[in-house]
Amino acid sequence: MSEMKNIYKILIVAVLALFTAASCQQFEEVSKIGEIESLSIVVKANLDLGSAPAPNGFNVKLINYAERYEVNTTMGANGTVTVDNVIPGIYTITLSSEKAQDGFTYNYSGNVVNVDIVTNNKQISVNVGASKSGALVLKEVYYCGSKTPTGGSYFRDQFYEIYNNSETVQNVRGLCIAILNPLTATANLPVWPGDDASKFVYASTIWQVPTDVDYPLNPGESIIIAQMADDHKKSNLNPNSPVNLLSAEFETFINTTSLIQNNPAINMVMAFWPSPTPQWLTTVFGGAFVIYYPSVAINPANYVSPVGSTTKNYKIPIEEVVDALELVGNANQVQLKRMPAVLDAGAATVGGTYLSVSVGRKVKETKTDGRVILYDTNNSSEDFEVLNPPVIRRYGAKAPSWNTWK
Amino acid sequence: MTLLTTNSAVAQEAAKQNSPASIELLKARSLWFNTNNAAGLSLDKMHDYSDLNFQYKIKSGDFKKSHNGEKESLLGVSTEGGLKLNGGYVWGKFSYNNETLRNTLFNTTMINPERGMPFYTVDKNMSDWKSQNYKLEMKVASKPLWDKYIVGVQGEYVTSTGAKQVDPRSVGYFYTVTVKPGIAAMFGKHSVGVNMVYQNLVEETRTTNSNSQLSQDVYVIKGLGNFYSAVVGGLQSLGSFVYSGNKFGGDFQYSYGISDINFILSGNYHLRVEDVISSPTKPKKEGTVKEEMMSANLTVTKSCDNFHRLDLSYSVNNTSGIEYVQVLDNTYEVQRWVDVYSSVRSTYNQIDMVARYDFFRGASHEYKWKAGLFANYRDNDDLYILPKSKMRVENLYLGINAKTNIPLKLANRLILGADFIYKNNINGYYIYKGADATSPVITQFMTPDMQYSSMDYYKIGGEVSYFTNISRSNKSGMFVKVAADFYKPVEGEGYRMQTTIGLGFTF
Repeated sequence: MSEMKNIYKILIVAVLALFTAASCQQFEEVSKIGEIESLSIVVKANLDLGSAPAPNGFNVKLINYAERYEVNTTMGANGTVTVDNVIPGIYTITLSSEKAQDGFTYNYSGNVVNVDIVTNNKQISVNVGASKSGALVLKEVYYCGSKTPTGGSYFRDQFYEIYNNSETVQNVRGLCIAILNPLTATANLPVWPGDDASKFVYASTIWQVPTDVDYPLNPGESIIIAQMADDHKKSNLNPNSPVNLLSAEFETFINTTSLIQNNPAINMVMAFWPSPTPQWLTTVFGGAFVIYYPSVAINPANYVSPVGSTTKNYKIPIEEVVDALELVGNANQVQLKRMPAVLDAGAATVGGTYLSVSVGRKVKETKTDGRVILYDTNNSSEDFEVLNPPVIRRYGAKAPSWNTWK
Repeated sequence: MTLLTTNSAVAQEAAKQNSPASIELLKARSLWFNTNNAAGLSLDKMHDYSDLNFQYKIKSGDFKKSHNGEKESLLGVSTEGGLKLNGGYVWGKFSYNNETLRNTLFNTTMINPERGMPFYTVDKNMSDWKSQNYKLEMKVASKPLWDKYIVGVQGEYVTSTGAKQVDPRSVGYFYTVTVKPGIAAMFGKHSVGVNMVYQNLVEETRTTNSNSQLSQDVYVIKGLGNFYSAVVGGLQSLGSFVYSGNKFGGDFQYSYGISDINFILSGNYHLRVEDVISSPTKPKKEGTVKEEMMSANLTVTKSCDNFHRLDLSYSVNNTSGIEYVQVLDNTYEVQRWVDVYSSVRSTYNQIDMVARYDFFRGASHEYKWKAGLFANYRDNDDLYILPKSKMRVENLYLGINAKTNIPLKLANRLILGADFIYKNNINGYYIYKGADATSPVITQFMTPDMQYSSMDYYKIGGEVSYFTNISRSNKSGMFVKVAADFYKPVEGEGYRMQTTIGLGFTF
């Protein structure tokens, strides 16, 4: 009988031990969690305007991309505003304004990205800078590719249109287009070495307009940079492709297959490309691009690598960037920004791959001569829209006079 | 003396042939059998029985929820048995079901989307679902120790696998292990019992595409139609989801017998916490569910020439959907998601009240005929706190059923049964104030499902079962069964038909 009692004791102890061991922490954690409550925050603008005039106020936008929740308000000239009814979460806060003075249009923008708002009355400072609207802008980018009649994926018809959005002639001689590292939107951002790392963006590849002659671009004119400046509707390419790029001004020519011909377009210079591929295929999930004029000649030997990685990248000073565009795979990935907010406060997307659609800037105004001025607030979420189908030289943009094959 | 008399009666019944009707009556008379305390089995004085059942069930019709199949088929086998052993009682059951659902909608990953989990993935593509599940159950009760105490343990192991058949396709694995140790004590005609409940649950789902060239949009829902968009396919493909939960709880029971009347009063409190994470190699919390379950039940039986059973129950289920605000600690070699805020974002409250009365004409080994009535009031009150969305569904179910057990020649029996249920919707509305009222999640999934839940309907059911002896010793029997249930909304089009064909053996 005493043996039986011992067995029961052992059983009881074993069962109790099982209960005790099993996930006490899980129960303890949830016991402290209460119901959600909305919060208030204080947003303050720190102005660094240089010689630009002070704006009259700001539009303030709080976006919680994970929840697709947005709060809009305005800030007066005092530079402070209290925003109520904020759902706790991770936000991008953008301040923007515009002012016309002395014949120039000044853009004021600043933002903070991925800021957590989880406590009441949190004070958030946003550094705001000013710039005159950019002269050269990325007007339309077709990056996602198209489907072939047999359902295959076609990506050789990518193009990048750069437009003179100003009132003065621009010269694209030596202009570079670079895709930044990381190539796709990701939460795993590389860590760059150096105390001044935040003053640069880091290119994976760079192509450059030849520096041999001038390539003037009048107001309202644009250049097309094609991955392959061919008629992509040809039967041996992709009859389903939405574009014929034979009239493109430049192409990133790499003669690695008979499909890739040396077309009339001017061949760009492969300025930095440490890991060559058979073509300049930029990711169909959406890369981050900048166009810029290098102040010193590009030397591929002067590469840098992220901490813990051996990939070769090229430092581009943010102050040399003329325009920037961040593209992501879908709307939810806007929170996975790679581009510094000072260059692009948002991101654009076509929302998928091989869709035969592009992203393009919205029209801000149309001049009496039919020339359009495009939005350029350094916020691609606001400035760009999805366009179907992709069209080169949309809105009456003209090809430059030196393009004799157009 | 009462105990001895009962034992004698049970011994006489044990010698008789088991049949579906006798097993049904045996369970109806067993007050402790349906509690969570296995120790009470020894108090029920159940006789030995066992059966083996095969069934093929088909459902069709469009009066259904989105995740149900336009056509469903289920092939199942189960076996169950109870045995007196050394003064105690052991009971076990095993079942296996293989199920195919045709043309389901808005369920990408969950083997059972109605198991009380608001965080899962849905998509717009119509697809078949295939699944199979195994369930093992056991209850063991000791003989009375020191003529006063009975210890028992109840165990359950359930495992399921399932797969969605169209991109974005998924494969999922689900299991639960449940242990319920209990003890009962006898004080004359009074018996009291307590038991604990512990359950461990794991479900893992992985989504993929067969066509790697075409990524698929999906929606990760969070309750009452709120969701975030994601993509299956490509470099940013949605990761796998892992659900891991634990449930603790306790039950008490008190029973009393006087003359031919017995009753049992039982109550319980169970608490379940289940975490949902995605991408287990860099875990990100998708949410947590905290579920509190409380119930009180009273069952009264009266055994004389006939048998009466009255069941009253009241249960409350309060579930909280907890969501997290997380930031990625991007420090090199760390790279992990860190909680910066957590809150109860949604609540799901259910009140269930049931009253059921069953009358069995003839209370010996089998009944001659039986009739029953039931009423079930159920109130579901769901809230998404910020931005506020609300869903309320109040239903009253009223039912009546009857069966007759007709003796035929050579001890064969024919059972004819019929039942009628009327569902009356008292209240039903859904107010969505989330980010995207025009999304398919709202217009094609949540709204139609809510309309289904809020519709009045009636159900007419019938069954025919033929039982025959198959052994010379009159110990074993065989039966075939055909049953049909027809659901029809009071207003509007549509119907749902369920047909079951069964073959069984009793021993």
